Amino acid sequence: MKIFKISLIFILILSGLYFFMTNSLLAEQAGSEDIIIYTKPVKAVSFNHKAHSEDYGISCNICHDKLFQMEASNVEKKGDFNHKSFSKGKYCGACHDGKKGFAMDKQCTRCHIGAKGLNKTGKK
Amino acid sequence: MIPKKLDFENLKIESPDSLPKMERRKFLKMGFAVTGLLAGGKILSLLSIADESFASSKEQYPYKPHYSMLIYQNRCIDCELCMEACVKTNNVPSYGYRTTILKRKVPKAVEQQVEFIPILCNQCNRPPCVTGCPTKATYKDKQNGIVMMNYKKCIGCKTCMTACPYNARYYNEEIHSVDKCDFCFASRLSKGIATTACAEACPAKVRIFGDLADSGSEVYRMVHQVEKTVWVIRPESGAAPNIFYTRG
Ligand code: HEC
Ligand code: HEC
Ligand code: HEC
Repeated sequence: MKIFKISLIFILILSGLYFFMTNSLLAEQAGSEDIIIYTKPVKAVSFNHKAHSEDYGISCNICHDKLFQMEASNVEKKGDFNHKSFSKGKYCGACHDGKKGFAMDKQCTRCHIGAKGLNKTGKK
Repeated sequence: MIPKKLDFENLKIESPDSLPKMERRKFLKMGFAVTGLLAGGKILSLLSIADESFASSKEQYPYKPHYSMLIYQNRCIDCELCMEACVKTNNVPSYGYRTTILKRKVPKAVEQQVEFIPILCNQCNRPPCVTGCPTKATYKDKQNGIVMMNYKKCIGCKTCMTACPYNARYYNEEIHSVDKCDFCFASRLSKGIATTACAEACPAKVRIFGDLADSGSEVYRMVHQVEKTVWVIRPESGAAPNIFYTRG
């Protein structure tokens, strides 16, 4: 009886450990950062990766790799990460056209957290 | 009376729809420009441009050019490029500012929960800072209406800083004088450049600098139209400011 109890606890601990490890592994695969902050061309825009891929139920292949690479801040280097491109349906503009997602011609501060928002995140 | 610190959290900004179009038309017909700021649900200020808002009642706009700025408040994204441009152009030290951006939370809003608003010297027609200055170090330019500083005359008593309803002045340790926005007069306008550094630097076209006495200017057109509400900050101060805010 006693042995049974001990082994049960042991199994519980082990499975807990296993669960914990796979979870963090999965998280790593899906991108370690839940929120990506853009500072180019302007300070600063916040993109909630977790909300987009989990809460809004958008599957990975809609964004990867047609719209974005799987590398945070890669898109900032392209030189056309701006509203001119968005209005042509590129990047965030593929969805934020007022149909699939909210439009970009108002509510600027839903995306733009500004220099003050950036300071709060403690990033440079 | 010492004005309270400019506190964006407690500044109520009127929504464009809060004053019906017919009402605005009526006021405009009566010679009022609608510069409403909602306070507890009431329109606080309907400044008469001809009589109340400007020092001279004969002329609508006493200065030539009558420099002013229109700010599309809801377009501001706090990227601070205007502030950076101002600092560079006018040698503003890190502990002061000639223009800044205030932020406030709109917790009850369903969607957008943050708002930004740029502020700067309002180049008031009845400037409390000028009235308070004991040495005439700060004065209103007779031609263009800009509230100027004569650094040599400033004794650093900071009376003007306390009197300013807009927190638009700071003491500059390097030049031993109070400093403030002069619409880039010294650094740009006097050299023939048409606009301020902040207006030029803004990537979202938030700041429109112009001549309020010129009926062809965007500032003039926006202040005189009736479709959208245009407001000023702290109209109750009676200073008759020349910075106008709108949305759009
Ligand atoms: C709404 C669009 C969108 C969806 C859906 C989406 N992603 Fe992303 N993902 C992005 C963007 C944007 C970036 C950042 C790219 C950049 O900055 O250049 C990114 C970055 C990444 C990164 C790199 C993160 C890092 O820290 O470098 C990984 C990994 C990733 N995504 C995996 C996934 C997976 C797995 C899914 C599905 C579960 C997914 N993404 C769904 C838009 C999306
Ligand atoms: C594949 C489509 C898609 C792409 C690409 C996309 N979004 Fe979204 N986004 C959505 C949807 C759907 C919503 C949720 C519905 C809504 O509020 O419009 C949303 C919501 C948001 C929100 C609201 C979150 C909140 O809590 O207020 C922000 C901010 C946002 N997106 C920013 C961005 C940014 C920045 C980009 C580009 C880096 C981007 N999105 C790219 C589809 C997308
Ligand atoms: C759906 C999210 C979203 C909304 C809404 C949005 N933006 Fe942006 N904006 C971005 C992203 C992403 C960038 C590029 C990344 C960066 O500059 O940090 C950007 C960049 C910019 C830039 C610099 C590049 C350019 O295109 O000139 C300006 C200026 C700008 N936004 C202004 C605005 C204004 C004004 C509004 C509201 C009328 C607005 N944005 C609404 C996401 C958004």
